[in-house]
Amino acid sequence: MSKSQQLKEEGNRHFQKGDYVRAEALYSQALILDPSNPALYTNRAMARLRLSLWDSVITDCDSCLRITPDNLKAHYYLSQAHLALRAYPDALDHAHKAHKLCVASQDRSLSNITAQVLKCKKEKWDYEEKRRKRETSTLEEEMLVLLKKEKEQMLESSEEGEREELTREFDEKIARLREVFEKAREKEEKRREVPEWAVDDITFGFMVDPVITKTGKSYERAAILEHLSRSQTDPLTREPLLKSDLRSNLDLKHACEEFLEENGWAADW
Amino acid sequence: MAGFATKRLGKELSKINSNSLPPGIELVSADNFEEWFLDIRVLDDNPLYLNQIYRLKFRFSAQYPIEPPEVTFVKLADRPIPIHPHIYSNGIICLDLLGQQGWSPVQNVESVCMSLQSMLTGNSRNERPAGDEEFVRGNRLRPKDIDFYYDDNNV
Repeated sequence: MSKSQQLKEEGNRHFQKGDYVRAEALYSQALILDPSNPALYTNRAMARLRLSLWDSVITDCDSCLRITPDNLKAHYYLSQAHLALRAYPDALDHAHKAHKLCVASQDRSLSNITAQVLKCKKEKWDYEEKRRKRETSTLEEEMLVLLKKEKEQMLESSEEGEREELTREFDEKIARLREVFEKAREKEEKRREVPEWAVDDITFGFMVDPVITKTGKSYERAAILEHLSRSQTDPLTREPLLKSDLRSNLDLKHACEEFLEENGWAADW
Repeated sequence: MAGFATKRLGKELSKINSNSLPPGIELVSADNFEEWFLDIRVLDDNPLYLNQIYRLKFRFSAQYPIEPPEVTFVKLADRPIPIHPHIYSNGIICLDLLGQQGWSPVQNVESVCMSLQSMLTGNSRNERPAGDEEFVRGNRLRPKDIDFYYDDNNV
């Protein structure tokens, strides 16, 4: 065994024990001896993920991708690091690439990567939703301040007899403004129902990559593959069903994506 | 496949809590994602099960719903084991739906309860499975490892 291979295995042992600092140092030593080994970069990236060293994870994965552009792990780790840094478009982009590679290579990590795609969408939506809410409540405050200011000015410049009428008019306006914002908030809460067509019957999760069986029923790819590895039967009819019988349901996939754009909360309903 | 079962059961539970279960089925406890208890009763006036409530225990593995849950009747002071040609007196149920072959991951806690409910409703035979006494005395296997014969589809 080469020296760098020894260092790598020792690093793996420390990683298993949860000593990520030591593992990271050992992978680094191995990389000095063997800087063109992609597995050393992804292993170190994995240790750095555990240490929350996001920028270094990105550097390692980029180095790995320069050697092997279709490296599943590198894309998966990049997605996690970018997500931690709130770089949502990059996080989602790499999650999609990892997912595609995973399907093509029939890798066992499909469920985890499917979950990562959903997580990217959910966190992006959460972040934007928080910003939207903040902006809306700021707007509401500003409008109220403006109205009150105008009310005071009008009252000052008005005749004694008009004041009562003016006060009533402005108070109505203020109440109406509050009501409009409140209604918008209620509407937001009301639309929170997950449509059945978007939910996978095996995991009960929101579908990311639906595939359709001969009977016309669609399932999340990772979930139905998991079932088929145990029993090659259609979950509904119990008829024989093979991996090769599955087809991507692209229309449903697009419908799910569209729904999530507007309703990111549904990613984890 | 860590997390598979937990997520799915969490969603089943939130569905149960928001939509409630069909008549005759009630959730007793779901304190964790390993073991749930439910009560069922038949809805018609089948004299074998009249005015009785039965307690079901669900045990989930980490591979649920890819793997079937283990479902048995539990005996308590006010919860007997229902009499049925496919239910042993120790609560073990012989139902193809719950076996390794008959299980499908689109089944869920609610649908299993409904199947058991209708299995009781449709029964008119006041008897235990053949060899019940011997089975109850000798069996040390988990229900999922028992090789039942599902040859009698008339009950």
